[in-house]
Amino acid sequence: MKLKSGNRSTKRATGRKSKMKEIDPIRFEMFFHRLWAIGEEGRMTLQRVTASPIVSQGGECMSSFYDEAGHMVLACSGHLRFAAATSDAIKKLIEWFGESPGFFDGDQIFFNDPYVAGSHTYDMMVIKPIFLRKNRLLAWTATSTHTADTGGVLRGGAYEVHHEGIRIIGLKIVERGEFREDVFRTLTEQCRDPQYVGLDLKAMIAGNNVCARRYLGLVGKFGLDFVRGAGEKMIADSESKARAKLRSLPNGTWVTRQYVTTLDRKTRKAVAQQLFCTMTKEDDELRLDFTGTSPQTDTDHNSTLPSTVAHIALALTNTLFWDVPWSDGKMRPVKIGVPEGSILNCRYPAACGAAPRIGNVLVSTVCEGVAKMIYASGRLEDVNCSTTGNLEFVGGPGYFYGGRTREGIPVAQGLYDIHGAGMGATPERDGVNTGGHMNIPSAGIADIERIEMQYPFLYFTRGHNRDGSGFGQNRGGLGSYRMFLIYGSKDCSADYKPYGGIAQGGFGLYGGYPTGISATRMMAFAGLDMLDRVRNGDYPETDTIRAGAWGRLHHPEGVPERIPLPEGSLLVDYVAGGGGFGDPLDRDPEAVLRDFGRGWVSRDTALRIHGVVFESGGKKVNLDATAQKREQIREARRREAVPPSGKTSSLGRDEAKEMKTILRFHAMLEIAGNGSEPVIRCRRCGHLFCGATENYKLYALHRVVHLRDFMPYPLPTGEPYIGEYHEYFCPGCATQLQVDLFCPPLGGEPILWDIQILRDADEP
Amino acid sequence: MAAQGQYIIGVDTGGTFTDVVVMSEAGQVWTAKASTTPDDFSRGVMDALTEAARTVGVDRKDLLGRTSLFKHGSTVATNALITRSGVKVGFITTRGFEDTTEIMRAIGRVDGLSEEEIRHVTWVTKPEPLVPRERIAGVRERIDYTGREIAPLDRGDVMAAVRKLMDEDKVEAIAVSLLHAWVNPAHEEQIRSLALEADPSQKLYWSFGSALSQIAGEYARANTAILNSYLGPTVERYLKGLERKLRDGGLKSSLLIMQGNGGVGHREQVSAIANLQSGPAGGMIASAHVAKVLKHKNVITTDMGGTSFDVGLITDGYWRYAQEPIVERFRILQPIIDIESIGAGGGTIARVDPETGRLLVGPKSAGASPGPVCYDAGGTEVTVTDADLALGIIDPNYFLGGRKRLNKEKALKIIEEKIARPLKLKVQQAAAGIYDIVNSKMSDLIRRQVVRTGYLPEEFVIYAFGGAGAVHASGFAVELGVKKIYIFATSPVFSAFGAAAADVIHTRVMTCQYILPVEPKALNERLGQIEGEMKQIMIGEGFRPADIEFRRFFTMRYRRQTAGVELPVTSEPFTADKIAKLHLAFEKKYEELFGVGAGYTKAGIEISAIRIDAVGRVAKPRLKPERIKTKRLAAAKKGKRQIFFTRPERRLIEADVYDYARLGAGARIEGPAVIELPFTTTLVPPEFHVTIDNYRNLVMEVG
Repeated sequence: MKLKSGNRSTKRATGRKSKMKEIDPIRFEMFFHRLWAIGEEGRMTLQRVTASPIVSQGGECMSSFYDEAGHMVLACSGHLRFAAATSDAIKKLIEWFGESPGFFDGDQIFFNDPYVAGSHTYDMMVIKPIFLRKNRLLAWTATSTHTADTGGVLRGGAYEVHHEGIRIIGLKIVERGEFREDVFRTLTEQCRDPQYVGLDLKAMIAGNNVCARRYLGLVGKFGLDFVRGAGEKMIADSESKARAKLRSLPNGTWVTRQYVTTLDRKTRKAVAQQLFCTMTKEDDELRLDFTGTSPQTDTDHNSTLPSTVAHIALALTNTLFWDVPWSDGKMRPVKIGVPEGSILNCRYPAACGAAPRIGNVLVSTVCEGVAKMIYASGRLEDVNCSTTGNLEFVGGPGYFYGGRTREGIPVAQGLYDIHGAGMGATPERDGVNTGGHMNIPSAGIADIERIEMQYPFLYFTRGHNRDGSGFGQNRGGLGSYRMFLIYGSKDCSADYKPYGGIAQGGFGLYGGYPTGISATRMMAFAGLDMLDRVRNGDYPETDTIRAGAWGRLHHPEGVPERIPLPEGSLLVDYVAGGGGFGDPLDRDPEAVLRDFGRGWVSRDTALRIHGVVFESGGKKVNLDATAQKREQIREARRREAVPPSGKTSSLGRDEAKEMKTILRFHAMLEIAGNGSEPVIRCRRCGHLFCGATENYKLYALHRVVHLRDFMPYPLPTGEPYIGEYHEYFCPGCATQLQVDLFCPPLGGEPILWDIQILRDADEP
Repeated sequence: MAAQGQYIIGVDTGGTFTDVVVMSEAGQVWTAKASTTPDDFSRGVMDALTEAARTVGVDRKDLLGRTSLFKHGSTVATNALITRSGVKVGFITTRGFEDTTEIMRAIGRVDGLSEEEIRHVTWVTKPEPLVPRERIAGVRERIDYTGREIAPLDRGDVMAAVRKLMDEDKVEAIAVSLLHAWVNPAHEEQIRSLALEADPSQKLYWSFGSALSQIAGEYARANTAILNSYLGPTVERYLKGLERKLRDGGLKSSLLIMQGNGGVGHREQVSAIANLQSGPAGGMIASAHVAKVLKHKNVITTDMGGTSFDVGLITDGYWRYAQEPIVERFRILQPIIDIESIGAGGGTIARVDPETGRLLVGPKSAGASPGPVCYDAGGTEVTVTDADLALGIIDPNYFLGGRKRLNKEKALKIIEEKIARPLKLKVQQAAAGIYDIVNSKMSDLIRRQVVRTGYLPEEFVIYAFGGAGAVHASGFAVELGVKKIYIFATSPVFSAFGAAAADVIHTRVMTCQYILPVEPKALNERLGQIEGEMKQIMIGEGFRPADIEFRRFFTMRYRRQTAGVELPVTSEPFTADKIAKLHLAFEKKYEELFGVGAGYTKAGIEISAIRIDAVGRVAKPRLKPERIKTKRLAAAKKGKRQIFFTRPERRLIEADVYDYARLGAGARIEGPAVIELPFTTTLVPPEFHVTIDNYRNLVMEVG
């Protein structure tokens, strides 16, 4: 296993003397803001020129600056995944082609090899060296877009990277200022939709032109030495801020495990994989070790190491380091270890088209550890049961559409309604309903009116998904669902994934549930005559579609990687919500009533999960019956759950007296002490579990609930659920303390020791 | 419309003051102000008019009686939205899409927030929707993107929804917005007639998405209808009350209402939502009006107040509209003047970051309360105003014309403690740093705004507004390479002045898809039809056809693109030749914006939206130049002050202080100097000079 790690020193490989010390703080501030403004200008240019809705509206793009050796100095807003990637591409370009053919003023280089940088071949970048007086290499600027067409086989079908279209490790698309028509046409004509790819390439070139021209203006204004010194300071500042942040957190280890499923090409069935992360924070360093992660697959469901590192960087940026400017310095205190040949570090030439989907689950896996770590520091506004993992779906038809538009133009596109996901709950409030894609902070989904002008779809609904988030004292934000008819195209297909019986990523905190499988994607052969029914006032609903009232549900023979979607196909598609926070029995009954009234929570969930009983036809809470029901649920917890160690405490009886709180590392649990060995104690009832360096779960009441008994529906194909929830309750007050998802077929330790705080006994 | 009286009156109700500008036919101008009265805004208007009459030297009845045009912009709508004090609204939409206004295209979570706020991903949430899910009803109906009916409107659903909203929810207003009504409003029209059945006396305030906007995009269009209903009754009540008072007060002319699009309209023609942002729009019209007089084609308007810095542009004589403007975090579809804002004002906080030693200025603000440390009102954070004071630019005894006394010692002490000492700088060096950094940030915002439109800042002049504007304008102008800055004596009442100068403007914007080369006949017919409709409305308002001017703008793009470029186009009928020219004009503009070679003809070109402004000219003030007389400067000199300048180098210089009131047209003042106005202080650095032009504007120039 290789450890990838930043270099702590700010001295450069070039051996140049540092100019950083002489930087005037006032001019530095002016420089910093201006560089950021230039990057923003570049990104806006990109978004206005692009032909990709995912770039212009979904925000999947980036423009950023690097020093002459390829170290990232500053990345601007946009898709955070791209920021980290390009640095590696530049370093490789220098290594491979620095001598021959060399780089010259006016060059722009196209690059999209996910084994060096980026997540998959659709992550395209154009990189431009910036020269002073045409002969002295000063810096690099780069723009990236997610351009969903590289030729190759359509999404879902690849099983080696060579199937995934053009993969270019550096080709000059502009050479010494001359636009290379031959290169441009060679690249674009490998793709199904050359006009679309061509516009995106031109957009990136335009973005770079803006950035390079303005960067040279900066050098003119501030002077070369200043610009270099300021670049060094930007990297050094990010590092010191990141380290300061880490120092403010308690030392310890947080262990997380999440799941994904994909097709097993041999059995033609779904198979599960796990992402396993051990995150250790010591002083001002953070180490992430992914030992225990499943081996790579023979589909495109793999992540290259660069993609993995990029997603880890963005997970940390959104939660831990959100207020640290993004340069290479930010990741210097972070060490990452990923086993080679795993799903997170696949070996060439494995296909990796689905890497961003794995990346989403990876982000979720990292965010779970980070959320618990931040909670223990008391910075509650930065704690979130984030959602990104749930953008991956359990199974059924996917969202990468291909075929011909109504005008007959061949296209390969995604429908990025998947960005309409719910955000995680926080210690203070419910998660944001349809809050968007956490990896792209300023992204959104398109208006249906705009989608219908572009895609051969006719929507019947886009709404919030009932019970579509993790339950808890604060519930996760709801995800969305949509229902649409293939309408106006005779040639349309989508990727397809077999139904896997376990939720894809996501987590709940401190007794809140992970999102789970609240719903599944489906496709019915409704036929265009279904519009006659609609005309007569009979509208499709998910329940009636599931029951087969709108045509046979389609479960393709042999589980192909792609399926045709003939005109008249009716699709139902879901995006999950965020995870829940805290015991659902602690939720305010009035909030449950409000959610019920809005159609966000079912009566069954209100009763079974929250213990809330309604009266007056669902218009009022029956408080007495609710209190009674909740007590019954607590009783059932006491009755059905047993401590894994056989006892509810490892401590003697008389240790309880007069202990003071040392650290709140959990919403309900704290480390307390009184000069003697610190212990773990329930904040609500005072129950003492064990010593502070033990796993409290061994002494908590533990109950295993199989997903088939928890989920509202069986999987559409009748495949079995393969996961189980491990619930832990306080032996004293029966409060639910944690819900972990576990997949027995993959083995491993079911009782995860998720929080291991390391501290000196006498520390206050 | 011919003016028959003697006066034109412009009134702007702002957050703090209600301003009045009165102009006579002869070009004389009077201004007056009174406190804004939020409990009943019309009282403040009448107070201000009384004050104005006194200034003119007539009684109020006389003034109103002899007024030919009464034009009014108010903050009533904006205020009702900010304070969430609109009425209870119900919303009717296409069945299956009831969650649209809560989903907010997911982007609602960040709409209207700054980049700094957006980065705090775990913390950011959506605003509370104006209509909760319980009061949203879906009705069966469906139209596709071409306008074809997929399913008819279910009248039973509509009647049930209306009854439920009226009887159970007791709503005061209903908004209706259906999918694809932008291309075919038939179902909304049917609901409109059902509304007459269900609510025969029209007790409720009804709004229809398709009537307010013909642009594709159901989320923002739904918001537009909802906001209109939410604000409608409040705005209506206010205007009715005001009109009654004005009529009783002797006004005979019609009451024209200022709109966010930069034009006025007759009260009956102006939708409630068009009242939003009318204050800033007033400022923009005033700028455009002045720009025309001063022959400035390209102007950057800047307004630096207590908490924010607002930038607007006039290019080739026109202001620009924002695409899907965001008001109070809600995205809407209304032509609203594009004004961008960042957190940089007098109250903006400066601090030293403990880990990196960076001197961070903004975006947080100490606001008006506690405000800067020098206000002596409990502020503990260093602000830009504290720095301006420490540098000696502001006189602690003459801040805002002496209305507020400042505590300079406190400001110096806090800068020393919080900024200078940690950075190992002298106090004035530290204050100079804050001054330069905030100027630099403002110049970055301006540059971004300007280059986005395909121009360069050097082609512009700056108009500097706001209490802190003239203190900082020389600083950001230099950064941008702008050579000329204008500061107007009428600047505090500019919005009212703008209202007085505004024409009647109706704007229609609609989504379309014309692929070039389009058949000229089809295009001409469409344009003719829209302009015909607009003309009818304006004839009804009393305009002669000859007095109506149409301005056409097309949004064009390469096919497959999602964003477009807006171009002004000919108001003549199109011919094949003119369409070919359109093609070339687009590609030229595109390359100007995005660089040579960025265009891609092969992808094809389309017109994706049409905007038409119908402008009805009304009489407006003629600014009367003063005769230039060279007066001795000595009379205007108030004294001398030690000021720490940041350019051309950082040093303390003794500068002359002048009283603007005593400077006549033609006066020329060389920097270093300070010119004090009742509402701001103009800093004239070395190597700059100011002349007073024959409209008594301050013109600051390099050299």
